Amino acid sequence: METLALLEIQDLTYYYPDSTGPSLCNINLKIREGEFLLVAGGSGSGKSSLARVLAGLIPEFYGGKIQGKVLLQGNELKGDQRRTLNSHVGIVFQDPEKQLVMTSVEAEIAFGLENLGLPQQEMFRRVAEVMTFLNLAHLKGEFTAKLSGGEKQKVALAAVIAMHPRVLVLDEPTSQLDPVAAGDFLDLVEYLNKELGYTVVLIEQRLERCFHLADRLVVMEQGKVICDGPPGDVARWQVKQGLPFIPPVARFFASLNSSVIPLTVRDGRRELQKCQPMVPFRENPQQRPTLSPVKKSQPTAVLEAKNLWYTYPGGQEVIRGQSLSVREGEFVVILGANAAGKTTLLKLLAGILKPDRGSVHLDGKDTRKLPLTELGRYVGYLSQNPNDYLFQDTVEEELRFTLNNFRIPDDGICEEILKRLNLYGLRQANPRDLSSGERQRVALASVLVAGSRLLLLDEPTRGIDYRLKTELGGFLHEMTASGGTVVMVTHDVEFAAEYAHRVIMVFDGVVACDGSREVLGESIFYAPQMARLFRGTARDVLTVSEGLHKMTGGALDVCQTR
Amino acid sequence: MLDQLSYKDKNTFLQNVHTAAILTYLAALLLLPLILAHPLYLLGVFLIGILAVVVSDAAQECLPFLVMGIWVAVFVMILNPLLVQNGTTVLFYGPELPVIGRLRITLEAICYGATMGVRLMAIILAFALYNAIVHPDKVTGLFSRFAWKSSLVVSLATRMIPSTARDLSNAREVQQMRGVNFSSGGFRERLKKYSWLLEVLLLSSLEGSLATAEAMQARGFGSRRRTCYNRELVRPRDYLCFLSGLSALIIGVYARFAGYANFSYYPQLDTLAAASDLIWLGVIILCLLLPLILSWGWKHWPYLRSKI
Repeated sequence: METLALLEIQDLTYYYPDSTGPSLCNINLKIREGEFLLVAGGSGSGKSSLARVLAGLIPEFYGGKIQGKVLLQGNELKGDQRRTLNSHVGIVFQDPEKQLVMTSVEAEIAFGLENLGLPQQEMFRRVAEVMTFLNLAHLKGEFTAKLSGGEKQKVALAAVIAMHPRVLVLDEPTSQLDPVAAGDFLDLVEYLNKELGYTVVLIEQRLERCFHLADRLVVMEQGKVICDGPPGDVARWQVKQGLPFIPPVARFFASLNSSVIPLTVRDGRRELQKCQPMVPFRENPQQRPTLSPVKKSQPTAVLEAKNLWYTYPGGQEVIRGQSLSVREGEFVVILGANAAGKTTLLKLLAGILKPDRGSVHLDGKDTRKLPLTELGRYVGYLSQNPNDYLFQDTVEEELRFTLNNFRIPDDGICEEILKRLNLYGLRQANPRDLSSGERQRVALASVLVAGSRLLLLDEPTRGIDYRLKTELGGFLHEMTASGGTVVMVTHDVEFAAEYAHRVIMVFDGVVACDGSREVLGESIFYAPQMARLFRGTARDVLTVSEGLHKMTGGALDVCQTR
Repeated sequence: MLDQLSYKDKNTFLQNVHTAAILTYLAALLLLPLILAHPLYLLGVFLIGILAVVVSDAAQECLPFLVMGIWVAVFVMILNPLLVQNGTTVLFYGPELPVIGRLRITLEAICYGATMGVRLMAIILAFALYNAIVHPDKVTGLFSRFAWKSSLVVSLATRMIPSTARDLSNAREVQQMRGVNFSSGGFRERLKKYSWLLEVLLLSSLEGSLATAEAMQARGFGSRRRTCYNRELVRPRDYLCFLSGLSALIIGVYARFAGYANFSYYPQLDTLAAASDLIWLGVIILCLLLPLILSWGWKHWPYLRSKI
């Protein structure tokens, strides 16, 4: 007999206010007690709307039209009853900054309990328990504004757990965190699910770290659930459908039509030992199917940094005596832990920060002598948050704003850039009405329009889905292929493995490693999943396509369609 | 500077006193300069404020306020004798000025200006101390029993300051890289450029506030009658600090209305140091000194620390 679902959604369709199309369309979903449900899908596919239905925020907070039923343990919640869902379902949102209300950690955890109207003694017990369990006691009186992203997200989770929900809905909780903090957070979620029995609904873009945790994977597209099942089966189905929401190891085995789809690198390595490659492995660096190497005939250095030192006004020395040179046509990725000095290095290279000692030359010009307002002609700088760029009424005006400031006539450049970034259809839209991926492209367009051939990007893949990453990667690859240069700070090793020519690892303000992308394969912590899968077997495999190439000797297409 | 809140936990005595007690003490430091007119009383309260800054290790946090205060105080000291023509002890005559007439710089006006400067400094010091030694969440916690909506608004606003300052700095950098030169052009042009920054901030803040409101509703805000979480303990030191602040305030009010803390500047300065006036000044100073003495003991005498 089928067990009763803890939460159930039946035939649910939802329209946001003033929206002509549904954001959720005929959703049917059952969530069982103790289950770990992973929800994947592209931007705007309805994942976050689904999370908000589960948390009782739709339509209570957003308004709009809703049809269908939400059932809690078989009892339908009607009208105002949906609002009571927040005492059964706790939700943690994407942005750790925006969901904290109070100024100190202890008050933040107590906030939800005050709202529940609990007596003082009960609140004290719960706050003390949660702080001890999540190891937050030492941060009790700390200002939430001073916490790191990982700590903030942990406090947000603590505040929700203190309310004793039965279901935890986590809406891309790690998208703003670095890999270490994201790993810690997901370990905690795993413990809450496996040891404490919490039912978890996790919405994620970065599936590498959580694919194996899930009992079930739901894939959404255009407001609909298009696939629902065990992760391995869904991975196989996605490969057949050409969908990208699978981590590399699972994609690799699904592409090989393997009978078992391993979900972790460990299981993958076991499975790989059983597989016989169709052609014998050979170390051949020429067999890189996706990347065109840097043209050696054009060794012009567009960016030359010599002996850079930088200390923040507070006295913290962040960059220590670093030199590096970037050639035309290179795609350079800077990796490193949080607070290692990556963003500072990028800002020094962009000329936004001036080095205390040493120099940076852009196209032969010393950045110390160039005013910030002139730098935009030489370098396109994209900060972490695209919202810092957007304030005009339309996308097109956003581009014209930059052109006007530099007094550059629009001889069709706006149209060209908008078309190249797939934004032409949105040129009359308000940038603030667009999705996060679209906003990022608008911000990118607004700096590219000044005509710079050198692009410096700070974590551009943060919080965007696989499809948008592929689009961005394709654009940057095209740019470098046509002689442009890209320097990018990221935590995304899979993206680096896929597109970079050169990798720089920064540790404590010092460049710890600077080499071709193959260094990723030799790294312990920055190795992409495929490199870890093939470690000891083949040294030059960093991506799924390279792995397939290695296994099939080029008969990749046969494998994928088989 | 604004990207960090001014309160830093240094585990000092005054930071560890109950919020109601420390607020009473600070209220005394703030209100006494407003109530009292006698220059020695004002000077006494001001010096106590300085001493409080020293014992609570808050010099770094209070210094910017004090520097600002000194400039304003000096301005008042200079401006008062120039504008006020009262007083009988003329130090010198200046030129004939329109509206004011012939400039008369009097001793009384200078003294009055100087006293006003000290009063201003004492008031500014009370606010600076508040910033440095009172945890904002404890205040909102204390007042949330009576006015929880207002307390929450204050808390949310306090949370916004560091993130808004960060957003402002990022938006400025980004716009400069897009060719905006904030230091060029006339006043109107610069105003226009800064209005662009304001627009970015406003849009981001509005989006942020919607996200915060959603997170609040998700955590049951407004769903039922709420209770108040407060686990501040009350210790003997809290009573002592509360009583010292309250006593100083009551005695100050008494001294003011009984005429001991009064002083008239015009047309001629009063006698500065009448013995009966100074007795009450001594009592006020002793009251205000008590928490500072306890602070010293708390730091250097573990036995006292365990008893209070």
